[in-house]
Amino acid sequence: MIYLDSAATTLQKPQAVASSSAWAINHLASPGRGGHRPAMAAADTAFACREAAARLFHMEDPERVVFTFNATHGLNIAIKTLARPGSRVVISGYEHNAVTRPLHGMRADVRVARSPLFDQTAAVEAFRQELNQGADLVVCNHVSNVFGFILPIEEIAQLCRERGVPLIVDASQSAGALPLDFQRLGAAFAAMPGHKGLYGPQGTGLLLCGADPDPLLEGGTGSESVRQSMPDFLPDRLEAGTHNIAGIAGLLAGLRFVERRRVERIAAQESALIRRLGMGMKRISGAEIFQSSDPAAQAGVLSFRLRGWDCEDLGEALGRRGVALRAGLHCAPLAHETAGTLETGTLRASVSAFNTGREVDQFLQILRSIPAKH
Amino acid sequence: MLYYLIVCRSLTYAQRTAAALERAGVTARILRSPKSIAGEGCSHSVKISQRNLTDALRILQRVGLTPKRVYITAGDGSYQEVAL
Repeated sequence: MIYLDSAATTLQKPQAVASSSAWAINHLASPGRGGHRPAMAAADTAFACREAAARLFHMEDPERVVFTFNATHGLNIAIKTLARPGSRVVISGYEHNAVTRPLHGMRADVRVARSPLFDQTAAVEAFRQELNQGADLVVCNHVSNVFGFILPIEEIAQLCRERGVPLIVDASQSAGALPLDFQRLGAAFAAMPGHKGLYGPQGTGLLLCGADPDPLLEGGTGSESVRQSMPDFLPDRLEAGTHNIAGIAGLLAGLRFVERRRVERIAAQESALIRRLGMGMKRISGAEIFQSSDPAAQAGVLSFRLRGWDCEDLGEALGRRGVALRAGLHCAPLAHETAGTLETGTLRASVSAFNTGREVDQFLQILRSIPAKH
Repeated sequence: MLYYLIVCRSLTYAQRTAAALERAGVTARILRSPKSIAGEGCSHSVKISQRNLTDALRILQRVGLTPKRVYITAGDGSYQEVAL
């Protein structure tokens, strides 16, 4: 199988991820819930994971690295901390439902800073214009999960800092795949899954906290147990209930892999694969690809359509030929609306550090064998 | 043997404290705080030997992890808070 669906989850992981999770199931107990060896070993693993994430994202304080179930969980905490009904919230035109649904649910006054696909300058300008009209909060993804468009997050963060507007970064597609300096951004929060570019297991995620969050869940934390309110310190404030320590052990192995491989190298590799894929597709009759002419504006995700084909049917056809990629709206109808693909959806190919140029070439060969319809 | 317990607000804070001490060459071990000194329920403490307290306080102040509460063991197994 040629796996090109890493924007959903990276399926190929470093070997240590599965072995660490399996080992944890049999050897690690619940961190903070006992002084015995398996509990303290679990605590060591959790702390090592926080420290590894803090290093990767340039944070001084590992206490502000919070474990979540996934990026959606982290985004819900962040959004529900900073937005209220009627809050004026500026978002990019490329946000995922993990951002838009919580905002819709609380009846925030959502303003979309619309800009053309792959136009970073226009994106900054769109945010500038919206922010100049006043905003309570900005939520922006670093990389579009549909098109791989790299939003100019540093510039957007600067606009926010200059105006004192808190920023939430959805780093779902960029964590581990692009450099991200949380401290320099000065963002209130950055949410990310553990199971994509950080190569951890599903059911893991991280929330980096620059601001003080409100808990989404309440319950036992192994600290200040007499009090009936949640602790006012991190990470305990956000980590009610038993940790997913098997997942965290796997995530630690994934983080160590990224650290060893280096994010810059992974980014360069994924970018090269996407360029190769785009170049190859350009020669396929009837293929419409969404590729930036500027490699710095696109990460390891590429959407395309094939003339005459329903994207789901084409996804099925490719699946039967041993290619795994995703068709449809990718839980991001806003991104499709912005790019003009809402009616049709797209096919999305997305790569990881484990894909090779040979796989890309094989995929192109398979795609060429599927004729465009007229 | 007499030892000190640095009571920490959270397990993660205790881990940061212990890591900072270990990096500076001071042996530190994390344990569940004895119930009598745990404060508002469960907490974790960092245990250090009596001879290391001065060094530990200096190190922790330098890295911004100044302890709030420190206890010393008494001969009868009880704990007495140390004025910082």
